[in-house]
Amino acid sequence: MIAVRYRIRHLTRYEYAVPVALAHHLVHLWPPSGPRQTVHAAEMRIDPAPAWMEERTDGFGNVGRLLSIEAPHTQLEIAVALDVTVHPGPDATRDPARTPAWETVRDRLREAPDAGSRAACAFALPSTVIPEPAFCADYARPSFPPGRPVGEAARDLAHRIHADFAFDAAATTVSTPPETVLRDRRGVCQDFAHVMIACLRSMGVAGRYVSGYLRTRPPPGQPRLAGADASHAWAGVWCGDAGWLDLDPTNDMPAGPDHVVLAIGRDYHDVSPTRGVILGGGRHGLTIAVDVEPCDA
Amino acid sequence: MTDPGLAPASDTAEGVADAVWDEMAGGQGRLRPHWTPLMRAMSPVDPDRMAERGDEARRLIRQNGVTYNVYGDPLGLERPWPLDLMPLVLSAEEWAELATGACQRARLLNAVLADLYGPQTLIDAGAVPAPAVFGDPGYLRACRNVPVPRGLWLHLVGFDLGRGPDGTWRVLADRTQAPSGTGYALENRLVIGRVLRDAVRGVGVQPLGPFFQALRDALETLARPDPGEEPRFVLLSPGPFNETYFEHAYLARHLGIPLVEGADLTVRGGTLYLKTIEGLARVHVVLRRLDDDFCDPLELRPDSALGVPGLTAAARTGRVAVANALGTGLLESAAIKRALPDLAGRLLGEPLRLPQSDQWWCGTRAGLGRALAGFDGLVFRPAFAADRSNPLVVADLTRPERERLMAGLRSEPRRFVAETPVALSTSPVWIDGRLQPRAIVLRIYVAGIPGPEGIAWRAMPGGLTRFAPDTGRPVVSMQRGSGSKDTWIPGGGAHADTRPARARGGLGGALPSRLADGLFWLGRYAERADNVLSLLRGVAVRLVDVERPWGDAELLVLRRLMAWQNLWPAELSTLPDTDGRHLAKAVHAALHEPGLPDGVRATLQRLARCASSVRDRLAPDLWRVISDLEQTSGQRARLSPSALLERIETLVLGQAALVGLEEETILRGPAWRFLRLGRWLERAQFLLALVQWLARAAEDPEAGPVVLDLLLELGESASGYRERFAAAPERGPALAHLLIEESNPRSLAFQLGEIARALAQLPPGGPAAEAAAATIAALREDLGRTVPMTLDATFAETLGPMAAALRGLSDLLTRAYFSPAVVGQAV
Repeated sequence: MIAVRYRIRHLTRYEYAVPVALAHHLVHLWPPSGPRQTVHAAEMRIDPAPAWMEERTDGFGNVGRLLSIEAPHTQLEIAVALDVTVHPGPDATRDPARTPAWETVRDRLREAPDAGSRAACAFALPSTVIPEPAFCADYARPSFPPGRPVGEAARDLAHRIHADFAFDAAATTVSTPPETVLRDRRGVCQDFAHVMIACLRSMGVAGRYVSGYLRTRPPPGQPRLAGADASHAWAGVWCGDAGWLDLDPTNDMPAGPDHVVLAIGRDYHDVSPTRGVILGGGRHGLTIAVDVEPCDA
Repeated sequence: MTDPGLAPASDTAEGVADAVWDEMAGGQGRLRPHWTPLMRAMSPVDPDRMAERGDEARRLIRQNGVTYNVYGDPLGLERPWPLDLMPLVLSAEEWAELATGACQRARLLNAVLADLYGPQTLIDAGAVPAPAVFGDPGYLRACRNVPVPRGLWLHLVGFDLGRGPDGTWRVLADRTQAPSGTGYALENRLVIGRVLRDAVRGVGVQPLGPFFQALRDALETLARPDPGEEPRFVLLSPGPFNETYFEHAYLARHLGIPLVEGADLTVRGGTLYLKTIEGLARVHVVLRRLDDDFCDPLELRPDSALGVPGLTAAARTGRVAVANALGTGLLESAAIKRALPDLAGRLLGEPLRLPQSDQWWCGTRAGLGRALAGFDGLVFRPAFAADRSNPLVVADLTRPERERLMAGLRSEPRRFVAETPVALSTSPVWIDGRLQPRAIVLRIYVAGIPGPEGIAWRAMPGGLTRFAPDTGRPVVSMQRGSGSKDTWIPGGGAHADTRPARARGGLGGALPSRLADGLFWLGRYAERADNVLSLLRGVAVRLVDVERPWGDAELLVLRRLMAWQNLWPAELSTLPDTDGRHLAKAVHAALHEPGLPDGVRATLQRLARCASSVRDRLAPDLWRVISDLEQTSGQRARLSPSALLERIETLVLGQAALVGLEEETILRGPAWRFLRLGRWLERAQFLLALVQWLARAAEDPEAGPVVLDLLLELGESASGYRERFAAAPERGPALAHLLIEESNPRSLAFQLGEIARALAQLPPGGPAAEAAAATIAALREDLGRTVPMTLDATFAETLGPMAAALRGLSDLLTRAYFSPAVVGQAV
C-alpha cells in the first residue's frame, strides 16, 4: 500500500422556509493531522459570514468550530476544501489475530489502572447516543467466545453487521436510536457504526466512533463503496497496547487508505459534522455534497 | 433539668427504634441543655397554644405565598409549604464544629472540581477512578478548561447531614450544582421568627440575613464589566413548573436580581445578553437554578428547551460567570465520594473533618465484592446523579426485587453505590396535637466568597431540616410528603434580629421583555375575566329576580351573547333559550368548566400562569389574590341561581381587589404600564365588539327594546350614565357616553387616551412602536369624528375598521417590546 493524497470538497447547505433570526452552530469539519494522515491545506467558507467564530479542542483532540450568525438568513452554506494525504500504517493492528483476548481488555478497562486504559475507558462507557449499550449484548455475544482476540471478535462483528443489516438511506434519520436500527436491521453507515460500538461496549470493551470520508470513485476495477458521496462513519475497537483497530462495518473492511478521518468521539453526538440551534427558520432542508478525489487521478 | 413542664413529649413507642439518637432528649428522657431555653420559652406546649401558633404560621405561609410543586400532583401545581412549629436546635459548640467541617468540605470539593475540569491530575494519579468520572453523565466534557472566574466553582453548596445513633453527624449527600432550600430556610425563619418571637430572642438564635448578604457580595466579585458598564446579574430558573419555583422567585426578590428563563437570554458574539424592552443588556453573572446539562442546547444537551444556546461558549470566553460553574453537578454523584478522605490529604494536606456515611462505588472489583458480601444489610443508590432511581433498601425488598437488584449489580456494577444505612436521629414534630419523634435530615449550606486572599468559605448558621412523614422506614423527601423545620443555632445574642436583612441592590435596570409580555397578558386575562363575569352576573341576576320587567327578553339577548362569547356549552345548544334551569347550567359551566377555553375557569388559570411567570415582580398580596381567584373558580358552586350569583359576586370582588392592588403596589414604571396596557386594550376591544354585536342584535324586534340597557350594564357604564343624565337611556347620549365621553373611565375614548399616554412614556421600541403610536393616534381621530346616533347593523359596520386596528395594536406591541419567546430548534 502506498500513501494517497486527496482533494476533498464538503458542502453543507441549510435552507429555511422562514428567515432564521439567530443561529448558533458547532461544526466538526477540521481533520486532524497525525501518523495516519497529513493535512496540507484546509479552507472553510461560510455564507452568510458568521458574526462570531471560535475554535475549541475537545477532550478527544478534535477541533470544533463554534459560530453564530446574527443577521436574518434563509440559507446557510458551509463549504470546506481539504488537501489530505492518508498514509499506509502504522496500523499496529493489521493482524487482528495478534491482539489480546477480549476478556483481558475488558478487565483492564474496568478499573483503568494505567494511562493507556484510562484514555480508552471513556469509549467503553455509556455515551449520549448509546446510554445503555446492554441492548446489544445478545446480538454481540456470538462474536465473543472465550479467549478470542479482541481484534478478531470485532472483525467478526463488522462482518456480521454487514451481512445482517441492509443499507437503506430511507430507513433512518440522524436521530434514529441504535435500538431501532438493531430491531429493523437497516440503516446507513452512522447507524452501523453505532450498533457496532454498542455491541463492543455491551461486552465491556471500548468502541469509538470515527467520522470521515470515503474515496468517491473507486480505483479502476474495484467496486464503488457505499457511503462515498456523503460524510462517512465507521468504528474502532481498542486492542490494549496494540492500540485502535478501525473497521468499516458498512463495507466490511478495515479502515484503510480509502478512509479519511475527520473526527473521533464516543458517538455521533460528540463529533457531528454540523449541528446548531436556530431561532426561527420554520421547516428546514439540509443538503450535503461530498467529493473525495485522489489528486493524482 | 426535671421541670415537668419542659419534659419532652417524645415517645419511642411508635416503631422508632430505641437505638436512634434523640435530638431533644438525652439519657433517661432528660432534656438536652441546649433545648432548655426553647422549651422554657414555648412552655406550656399544649394543644391550644400550639393550635394558635399553627394558625398563625399557616396564615403567614399563605400570605407570603410559600409553595412547593409536587410533580404529577392531581391537586394542582402549588402546595402550601409544610413547616413544623418546633425548630431543630443545635448547640453553639456543635455547630461551630459542623460549620468548620462543612467549610473545609466545600473548599475540598471546589479544588476537586478545579482538577477534574482542568489538569485531571487526580485521575492520572489513580486517586479518582477514571471510569467513575468518564462514565458519569454529569461529567460535561465541553466544560473542561472553561475558565471559572476567581476559581469559584461552588458559589453555594449544600450538604445533607444525618446523625447516627452514636451522635455523630455524617454527610449523606452533596448538593453541588444548584442547591435548593436556602430560600425556604429563610422563609421558615421569617414565619417561625414571628410565631415564636419570644423564643427566638430567648435562645438568641443566630440570624440568617448576613449569609445572604455574603452570597450577593460573592456574585459581585464574579462580574467583569467592561469600563463604563454596570454589572448585571440574573437568576436563571427552569420556570414555574419546577418543584422549587417559589424559591427561585423568592431568592430573586431577596437578592435583588431579576428572575429569568432561558428564552430571556441570548448569546451574541460570545457575550450573554438579557432581552429587555430597551434592547439587549449585557449579563455578567448568572446565578442558575437550572441543571448543568440543560443550560445549553448547543454544547450540552440538544433536547433542552430551557437553556441558552451558546452559554458554554460565552463562559469559555470568560465574559460571563455562571454560579455554580457549569459541570459542578459531577460531585453530586456518589461514585467518587469514597475518595474524598484521601483527596483531602492530597489537595489540602489536611484530614477530612466532617465524617461521611459509609458509601462505596461498586464499579471496582473490591467495591463489588464488598457489596455482594454485605448485600442483605445495605442500601443501594444510583452511582450517578443523572440516574433518578430511588435508593433500594435491601431489607425492604421482595424476593423478585432482590433478585433483580442482584442481577443488575452483577451485570452493571458501575451503576451502583452501596451504603451502610445510617439510622437517622429523631426530633419532635407537632403532629395531631402532640409532639412525636420523626427522623430528620439536616441540609446545611456554605457560600464561597472570593476576596483578595483567595476564597473565604462561610456556613449559613442554620439550615433546612426535613423530617420523615411517618415512623417506620424514614424516607426524607419533599417530593414524598416530608415536612420542614426551622433550624436554630444559639449564640446570636439576646437581641438577635429575626428579620432577614434584605440584600442591597434592586431590580433596577431595563424590564426584561418576557416580563413585559407576562404583565401585558396578566392585564388582558384579568380584564377578560372581568368581562365574562359581568355577562354571567347579568344572567344570574335575572335568574334570581324572576319578576324583573323585560327579564325574558333580556335573558334571550344574554343567552345569545353567551353563545357569541363561546360561553354556551355545546351540549346545551339545542335547548330552549330562556329556560332558567338550562341557563343556570350554562352559567355554572361558564364559571367552572376548564374545558370551555373562554370561560372564567380557563381564563383565571391562564391569569395565574401569567402571574407565576412574573412572580418576582408581584407583591405577595397581589399574587395571593390571583391564586385565590383561581382556586375559587375551581370549587364548584351549587347549581342554584342564588348560589351562582353569590359565587360570581365573590369573584367580582376578588377582581376588584386585584385592580386595587395593581394600583397600590406596582411602581409607575414600564411594568405597571404594560399591565395596564393589557387591561386597556382588552377593555377597548371588548367594548367595541359588544357595541357592534348589540347594534346588530337591535334589529331583532324581540331584542330591540332591551339592547340599550344591556349595553350600558355590560359596558359597566350604567351608574355613570344615570349620574350624568338622571333619565332613561337614549341612543345618542348612551352611545356617546360609552364611546366618546373622556370622563367615563369605561369609555372607548378613555381607553385609547390612556393607551396613547402609556405608549408615549415607554422607552423607544423602534418602527413597530412608532406604528403602534400612529395607530392609536389615528384611532382617536376616527373616534372623534364618530357621531353615534343609531344602533343598527350600519353603525356596527362603521366600527369595523377601528376594531381591526385595535387587534393590530397587540401585534405591534409584541414586535416592539416582547421577545418572541420562541424556543430554538435544533438543526
